Amino acid sequence: MANANNTTDDVIVLNEEGAKFGRAMLIAGLVLIAVGVGVGLSFDTRGLKGLLHSYLIAFMYVLSLGLGLLWIVIIQHLSKARWSVVVRRVAEVLAAGLPIVCALGLGIIIPMWLHNADLYIWVDHELVQNDHLLHHKAPYLNVSFFTVRCAVYFAFWGGLSTFFLKTSVRQDETGKAELSGLMHGVSAPAMILFAITLTFASIDFLMSLDPTWFSTMFGVYYFAGCIMSGHALWALSLMWLQSHGHITTSVTAEHYQDIGKMMFGFVVFWAYVGFSQFMLIWYADIPEETHWYHWRFEEPWKQVSIALLIGHFVLPFLGLMSRWVKRKKVSLAFWCIWLLIVQYIDMFWLVYPNGEAADRVPPSALVDLTLAAGMVALFLGSAIRRAAGINLIPTKDPALSDSLAFHNI
Amino acid sequence: MAQITHYSQWQDAPAGDNEFAKITDAVVRVVETPRPPPAWYMAFALALSWLGILQLCIGFLFWEGIGIWGNMHPVAWGWPIVNFVFWVGIGHAGTLISAVLFLFRQNWRTAINRSAEAMTIFAVICALLFPGIHIGRPWLPYWMFPLPNQMDLWPQFRSPLAWDVFAVGTYFTVSLLFWYMGMIPDLATIRNRAKSTLRRFIYGALAMGWRGSSRQWHRYERAYLILAALATPLVLSVHSVVSFDFATAQLPGWHTTIFPPYFVAGAIFSGFAMVVTLLIPARQFFGLKGLIEMKHLDMMCRIILATGTIVGYAYAMEFFVAWYSGSHYEGFAFINRAFGPYAWAYWTMVSCNVIFPQMFWFKKIRGNLWAMMLICIVVNVGMWFERFVIIATSLHRDFLPSSWGYFIPTPFDFLVLMGSFGLFFTLFLLFCRFLPIVAIAEIKSVHPAAHGDH
Repeated sequence: MANANNTTDDVIVLNEEGAKFGRAMLIAGLVLIAVGVGVGLSFDTRGLKGLLHSYLIAFMYVLSLGLGLLWIVIIQHLSKARWSVVVRRVAEVLAAGLPIVCALGLGIIIPMWLHNADLYIWVDHELVQNDHLLHHKAPYLNVSFFTVRCAVYFAFWGGLSTFFLKTSVRQDETGKAELSGLMHGVSAPAMILFAITLTFASIDFLMSLDPTWFSTMFGVYYFAGCIMSGHALWALSLMWLQSHGHITTSVTAEHYQDIGKMMFGFVVFWAYVGFSQFMLIWYADIPEETHWYHWRFEEPWKQVSIALLIGHFVLPFLGLMSRWVKRKKVSLAFWCIWLLIVQYIDMFWLVYPNGEAADRVPPSALVDLTLAAGMVALFLGSAIRRAAGINLIPTKDPALSDSLAFHNI
Repeated sequence: MAQITHYSQWQDAPAGDNEFAKITDAVVRVVETPRPPPAWYMAFALALSWLGILQLCIGFLFWEGIGIWGNMHPVAWGWPIVNFVFWVGIGHAGTLISAVLFLFRQNWRTAINRSAEAMTIFAVICALLFPGIHIGRPWLPYWMFPLPNQMDLWPQFRSPLAWDVFAVGTYFTVSLLFWYMGMIPDLATIRNRAKSTLRRFIYGALAMGWRGSSRQWHRYERAYLILAALATPLVLSVHSVVSFDFATAQLPGWHTTIFPPYFVAGAIFSGFAMVVTLLIPARQFFGLKGLIEMKHLDMMCRIILATGTIVGYAYAMEFFVAWYSGSHYEGFAFINRAFGPYAWAYWTMVSCNVIFPQMFWFKKIRGNLWAMMLICIVVNVGMWFERFVIIATSLHRDFLPSSWGYFIPTPFDFLVLMGSFGLFFTLFLLFCRFLPIVAIAEIKSVHPAAHGDH
């Protein structure tokens, strides 16, 4: 077969160096998270409240990467995409890092069980009883239902990402074309459930930080950032694999260009969603909604808001527009790293400035960044471990030859 | 390999196995045939008579005033705005198919893009009619445009209604350019085959001197790509701006942040349904079943299913947040929508837009022309009701119970809506008769015969 010839020259199984790196990442991740939590509990003057905020930002950040990659896998199957077949396995492997990310969610849920209301004031039973609005929302915003919902989200995301990876790997072994049909069939209902779970997870973890605020667009806003940063991590992972001698000939500038296009598209989509949400609230000027933005337009958060506008939209919009930028690894890598940073800033901006200034905790660069680095390392380490021993490209996918021969015209 | 063909020499359907010649013949034959099928005459007579009724209604409207419609307080925005939003929505499929699907390399679009683009233009014309006749002073519609004048009067730029003028105007201009530019090579083909001087002159003028040289093709491809890239944000922006007309207000039921993408998804949904509604009979009567295939219709049904489900997501989100917000007024607006005097309209909308399209999960339904046609008409009804529900149910019970009312349309409302369909179908039938319904050059580029050497 023509495709087999093309791929045999390539190293398509993770080499020893890669496997070693995966183990190192896993250990580094655990150590960094332990250090972050340790510092947060001991030296950090912000106390537990500060630690929980730092933890939530890191968690929502790494979750957005995992969900972005899971969406990428689903949409390739749903649209029966052929260009992406050769790069799809890497996305499947990365998405399969989701179970460990979901396990990190316990760090948010367990304090709730211990009646800690540092993050979510609606956990405070007494407050809820005396506050009309919180009392109204209590059937939804309560610890038991929150836990049930999280269990559903985590089971679904973990199960789905594992299903796609396992089925795809099984196709490598059996060569059955029907498995592509199975994954296509699963992808349609999976997309609907994905949309619902992602929306409500973003409402639960992020929007309910300020339980008085509401926006129907919020789920779409978080979604846009997820997909954008998922593509960025996907491209970077491919580059990392190639620089370590894997899949060097199968993956070409054509595939990078297409990933770059999607990234560009979601940079614009994020801006569209973010602008629409802001503009409509600003224009109608209803105090129940505007306070959320007021907090973000006061010093020092004003600077972060402006930085987001410029860094999350204006600069990458201009930077990613040209064709060559998306085809050259150096320039594409630059924008991938850039977008992964601004996605973090976005989560930071969503989490910290909630509530009146007196009730807030300030950021702590040390704890914030240690936890974020730790969780990303843990996520990547777990994904690389799942890549051990399996092919880095779906060798028996019926559309592989189309993907290898793919050219942007 | 390349064989020069003299189109003008053809008399009958080309013999042999030249697939390209057959495609050209199948499409151009529709234009060249002396008499279109009887169904065309019947449809055209019907469409033209409704266009006549529309003109009479507008004439009477200008004579008598807006009072002939059901517009009242508190539903001052009656059917004219419903119809406007409905038609703008219909006008989304064409540019989505030609621009967005082009960028996503969906080659199947070549079978349908031309007719969908034409439909887009005609739908936007129908849409533009309504703000023009709704202003109450039909001699002053130019006030909508920022024209310099000695009284220093300008449109209110802070109003989303003024943004609409620009959004829809830009969309119309770009769609028209896109449609016309795409047609130039095909118009040249008709010119080359023309037998009468008049025909050669008219199509020759429209073809703007197209000779099909490689340089011309090169420029054509560049221009197509650039127009596609420019048109893509427009697909999102037009209906987003239309949604701002409502969402910037403080009115419960209108003011919700998900409106822009929700309107865009709904517009694509209704536009695709309209394309299917038009193409099923068109391919039947003009013998284009070989070009507009079942698999293309199947793809359209999938997109209708996907966008219908997104619309369902938006309905659900609105309801959830209306409760979650804890806002008394938000909650009332939605309870009133689903269980108040307009519950019949709300549930019509939900069943037409969310429940019925779920039938497209089944391959059998996506392969059955009658089922497809029926569901697509149902979707169009549902999408009209969506705009009616948004406008009437949010307005009819406002903050002051003493001013509550119930909007009842007059016969003129019905006649003008039906008349706008007359205008739409008249234009579309003329297009089917005189212009190439399928993009000949584009469909050839994705035909297997074009890739024979691979």
